[in-house]
Amino acid sequence: MTRVIEACDLSKAYGDVQAVDHVTLAVKEGALFGLLGPNGSGKTTMIRMLTGQTRPTGGEASVLGIDVVKDPVGVRKRVGIIPEQETPPSFLTAIEYLKFVAAVRKIPDIGKKADWWFDFLDFADKKDVLCKDLSRGTRQKLMFTQAFIHEPALALIDEPLINFDPIMQDLVKDYLADYVKKGRTIFISTHILEVAEEICSEFAILHKGKLLHAGPIAELKERGEHLPAFFLSLVRKDHHV
Amino acid sequence: MFELFTSMVREEWRVHSTMFGSLSFALFPFLIFGIAFMGSFLIPLVAKTLPVGNLSIIVHANYLMLGLMVGGFGMLGNEVMNRRFGQASLLAYSARSLPLSERNIFANFVVKDTVYYFFLWVFPFAFGYILASPFIHVPLASALFLLLTLTLSFLFGLCGVFFLSTVYAWSKPIFWLFLLLLGIGFGGIMATGMNPALLFPPLLLHDEFSWTNLLLSCIVLACLFIVSLRLFNPESVGSEKKYKDSFTPLLQRLSALPNSPLAAKDMIDLYRSGSMIGQTIFSFIVPLVVIWFFLSLLGRFFPPHALLFLYAVTTGVIASTMYTWVTMFDNFGPYACLPVAVSTLITSKLATFTILQIIPAVFIAVVAGLSGEAAYLIPAVVLGIAVSFYAVSIMAWLCGLSPDVLVYDVKVLFVYLILVGIVITVFSAVSFLNPYYALGAVILAVPAWIFVQKAKVRWDAVDPAGF
Repeated sequence: MTRVIEACDLSKAYGDVQAVDHVTLAVKEGALFGLLGPNGSGKTTMIRMLTGQTRPTGGEASVLGIDVVKDPVGVRKRVGIIPEQETPPSFLTAIEYLKFVAAVRKIPDIGKKADWWFDFLDFADKKDVLCKDLSRGTRQKLMFTQAFIHEPALALIDEPLINFDPIMQDLVKDYLADYVKKGRTIFISTHILEVAEEICSEFAILHKGKLLHAGPIAELKERGEHLPAFFLSLVRKDHHV
Repeated sequence: MFELFTSMVREEWRVHSTMFGSLSFALFPFLIFGIAFMGSFLIPLVAKTLPVGNLSIIVHANYLMLGLMVGGFGMLGNEVMNRRFGQASLLAYSARSLPLSERNIFANFVVKDTVYYFFLWVFPFAFGYILASPFIHVPLASALFLLLTLTLSFLFGLCGVFFLSTVYAWSKPIFWLFLLLLGIGFGGIMATGMNPALLFPPLLLHDEFSWTNLLLSCIVLACLFIVSLRLFNPESVGSEKKYKDSFTPLLQRLSALPNSPLAAKDMIDLYRSGSMIGQTIFSFIVPLVVIWFFLSLLGRFFPPHALLFLYAVTTGVIASTMYTWVTMFDNFGPYACLPVAVSTLITSKLATFTILQIIPAVFIAVVAGLSGEAAYLIPAVVLGIAVSFYAVSIMAWLCGLSPDVLVYDVKVLFVYLILVGIVITVFSAVSFLNPYYALGAVILAVPAWIFVQKAKVRWDAVDPAGF
């Protein structure tokens, strides 16, 4: 199966802090891949490097066959991204923001697609509200919409369910599961292990910037192990080393 | 109360120092000190053509301007911080989480700005002059006195802009009525043949000390501060503003521009944030009107047409700061999920900046007409706009998308002052010789273009996750 993400010896240092330390990773097409790790383990830095938002200080990576250092804009053209904290521009309304995204991405006739998303994520009543006045949950809905509105072959999402209520979490989990069934790929980073175990097909564990483990969830299940227990034992062991 | 004040000072320091390193920022007052100290030795030379009294007018005008700028930025601080640091918020906007009233916090905020920027800008400058005074035969008492009058000038700017912006937010008709009355007052004073700038209290005080003048200055400042505090009415939390789609029609209108979606977004940001009108008034027209009054005092020391060209150059430099109007609400963050490079953003910001240049062009044309120099309207406009584009290209090269932040980096400010200073000196002198030589300023398009290209390459190579 085609590899949509390939990282080889990827590293990122911020001064003396090694945020990501020689990580080698591959994600196959059609996977729902979960990058797991405690706070500060390097998950967000990893997503930033893979989407060309920040440059690696070592190693190399390609996404959908595009080198993330040589052509970061080319990568962002092909993928959908939901950053963990970024919010949409303050003074555009929700619908204007989607039209802005469509204009930048050169997507024609955004109207019907936007309406579908407003209905699907249940925020049609907020379409004319300024982004700065939206609640965090609604902003997350908007960011989710902008990441998927062009139906990318690969979506990279930093903490996909953060700020969503339980009903919305359920809806989004189903959407992600259906999305990969169509042959597309999703890469999420999260520290909510139960969610990862429920929806991911493959996972990797990052701790203090280092890759501790990578493999399919099915392997764990075959061994009768649960992801949270496996994660905790690995991270605690590494912590003592 | 005092804890909030000290926390705000610490916060201001950290906002600045974390952006480009504590040491680099800590050197900033030393740069100001150095400029003042070394510049003081030029006073005996300059005094041969320009009396010391007029030099003090220029210095006081600069500190008045500085107060206006600091006040203007303070009113927009939270929005700027949120765009630059994501979820970050200033203590000044923390009334929701602290058991303190908005007014109490605002009062602390103004006092913090006064103390902080006094030590950043006012004290180092005055101290440089004080230390140089024995060498240039200026009485120490007179040099020390400058510290007081410069502080007052700065406070007039700071409290003035707080006052105007709170009146503007409180009631727009009263704001415009107030400006009208102010204009009539100025017109009345000018009709008597007197320049209103001469009635500026710190200048009156500087020219001749009197306890009455000092008391008068303090009373005016206290009035501005108290009225601002009384009128201060923060926008209610949780309000939802709805707008019809303006993006689509604007996108069509701007379709000729490169990266028109980005330019359309910038224009909407400017308009809906209130910056378009607010910045035009507080960061452009008010400072330039003030400068005009001060510059016109120097008229008898220059050739007849020179004042217009000096003013056009000044307008050009101030117009170049419009680049900060379009960059202050954005860092790269909101674009990080889109296929947009930093260089593309710089290009689009410069396109929006180009649209805004209509304002200085019209302004210079009006000034040329009003000052009876309409014959030189075209060269004056060309000079002003050329300087503006040249200065903004330097700004884009040195600061990328963060000019309002990196201006406090000593190295950046130094290079900017040198590169812009040389050019404005040369073109001012050239236009003094012959007004039509000012048309030669179009040549500045060449270095401006080169600097923009260098800016794109430079900032594409820098990790955009910074700031």
